[in-house]
Amino acid sequence: MKDASPFSFLNSIRWRLQIWYGLILVAVLAGFGFTAFQLERGRVFRRVDDELQRRAGALASTLHPHRNRGPQGPPGQRPFDGPPEEQPLPEGPPPERGENPSPDQLARGSREFHLPPPQAALFDETDTNGFYYVIWRRDGHELARSTNAPASVSFSAPPHPDQPAGEGPHPQPPQTRGAFREITLITPPGETVLAGRSIARELNDLHRTALLLSSVGAGILLLGLAGGWWLASRAIRPIEDISGAAVKIAAGDLSQRIDTAETESELGRLAAVLNSTFARLETAFAQQQQFTSDAAHELRTPLSVMLTQAQTALNRERSAAEYRDALESCQRAAQRMRRLIESLLELARLDAGQQPMKHLRFDLAQSARDCVTLISPLAEERHVRIFCDPPKLDCVGDSERLAQVITNLLTNAIAYNKENGEVRVSGEAGNGSVLLTVSDTGVGISGENLPHVFDRFYRADAARTSGNAGLGLAISKAIVEAHGGEISVSSQPGSGTVFTIRLPTEA
Amino acid sequence: MRILVVEDEADLLRSIAQALREEGYAVDTAANGEDGLFNAESNDYDAIVLDVMMPKMDGWEMLARLRKTKKTPVLMLTARDQSRDRVRGLDTGADDYVVKPFDLPELFARLRALIRRSAGQTRNVIEIGEVSIDVAARQVARAGESVSLTAREYALLEYLALHRGELVTRTALYEHLFDENDSTMSNLLDVHVSNLRKKLGAEFVSTRRGHGYCIE
Repeated sequence: MKDASPFSFLNSIRWRLQIWYGLILVAVLAGFGFTAFQLERGRVFRRVDDELQRRAGALASTLHPHRNRGPQGPPGQRPFDGPPEEQPLPEGPPPERGENPSPDQLARGSREFHLPPPQAALFDETDTNGFYYVIWRRDGHELARSTNAPASVSFSAPPHPDQPAGEGPHPQPPQTRGAFREITLITPPGETVLAGRSIARELNDLHRTALLLSSVGAGILLLGLAGGWWLASRAIRPIEDISGAAVKIAAGDLSQRIDTAETESELGRLAAVLNSTFARLETAFAQQQQFTSDAAHELRTPLSVMLTQAQTALNRERSAAEYRDALESCQRAAQRMRRLIESLLELARLDAGQQPMKHLRFDLAQSARDCVTLISPLAEERHVRIFCDPPKLDCVGDSERLAQVITNLLTNAIAYNKENGEVRVSGEAGNGSVLLTVSDTGVGISGENLPHVFDRFYRADAARTSGNAGLGLAISKAIVEAHGGEISVSSQPGSGTVFTIRLPTEA
Repeated sequence: MRILVVEDEADLLRSIAQALREEGYAVDTAANGEDGLFNAESNDYDAIVLDVMMPKMDGWEMLARLRKTKKTPVLMLTARDQSRDRVRGLDTGADDYVVKPFDLPELFARLRALIRRSAGQTRNVIEIGEVSIDVAARQVARAGESVSLTAREYALLEYLALHRGELVTRTALYEHLFDENDSTMSNLLDVHVSNLRKKLGAEFVSTRRGHGYCIE
């Protein structure tokens, strides 16, 4: 068991997907929210700044009206041209007070500074949150102050005190000071004109906007995570189905199959492939079990003979001849079992691929001729004639094993032949492979038996005839296929059978 | 008792037949289902030992056909040991099912049980008057003392005792005590009967003239 560390859940694909997906979603939402917020903030401030600019410009122009009327003002700095067109011209009586102090008067430190009505309208001095202004002389001496200006506004020396004369006032970048937004203009003579406003309300609004964006973002994030989790689960479920079925199969239940509703997706195809693999496994296992059971089966009969013979012989006193008979019976049975066991072992080894085939060049036709010679006594006994005339058949393989195959085919051809029948051995050399055929004029194999002749333990009649266990052809097939070749059969019931072996000429 | 053994494995067939004969049974043999069926229908056997896997006609088929006409007890002998094979065998009409390789004493005991059952007997010991017959041990005692009988005498006694109360014809006795290899000589039967009377009592076996014998 692996240690269940607190981070073991990271091994789950689902969790990893979720975490990455969550991170990406957070990044996207945060980026988007932040940008939206910044845009809004910029817009708000720009609006305020525009207002401030206008007002500061208006103030500057009242200070130096003649300076400010002229084409020298750099384009775009409209505030110096007086109140912007959008502002409705203030209505009201003409100024009650006298003219504004002239620049000289200002220079002399006069505290008298009155805004003409149009400009005064820009500053609602009764509104503590409204626009305010403060004007200082170059030396910091306060020239004028609106009544609603916060006490905290103070003079700061302009950064570039020496302004070339003749140019319009120099605006400084707008500053945010606490909850106030202020714009400063430096007039050519050096006065500092400051216009400001409380932006507490704007800041509040922005704050609320930020909160709104955050909560909406969080909501979307949660929805997104939930949705992602659901999607991941759906995607992962087939894998879990597969895993579940595989576990059951590993536990021994080979009849399990993966049941997924999807058939076209990648996982659906994987499941289909696995299912067909499981089906092949099941078949292979069933065949294996059948084989083992058939093998045990075959051994029972000779064993039965031995047991019965021995028990009978030992039942009472017997003559030497009787004992000899019994022992000979036992011996026959034992030999039969030995042959059977050899065949079974050979098949098992061929199955497991543990039987290495030699790879030598030899002439298959010569092997065939040798086999025919060896089998001729049997043929004579059964009055069967053998004709053997294959051409040179060069191939690569294990000549001993293939001789075994040829002998098996010849034995069958003789055993299932008619009296005075014939057996023909012939062959053909093609490109890449050689063919060897063994045909007989025997009883043939019926259509229903034909596909099964190479099956293990299959015999045309369901009985044991003269100790033939039905493995000869199965072994032959295994040997031929281990060489990369093929064995096939065709038959005409009543007239004869032809077995054909095809072997490759190269390894 | 006469038994038919149907088995295609020559060595095994010979072996079983010999063992049964030595047990005192009359034994006929057949090497395939066809011959076996012919024999079984032509004669009245006390039991049939039947192999399943045989050429020409397998044991299933032979049994199925036999059961149309005969109720002979059948013991199936086979290498197929799966439950479904046993079920099939018993359902087709076999009375017992023995798997190869089998223990010979067990085969004998099962055959005895079959024969006993078909004669309506439940115990292995038959008591008639002061005579007691232990069928399993093949021993006879009269008034407590052991009586020695030849194999034929015993076979005759056993048959009559198992069919106690019935009239057994001479023909039936010939059928059930001698196999096809024996030459039928009618005196033999009379000799055995008279020997039995000598050893077990004159009234033990009654004769119905012209019909047959009976143990009351």
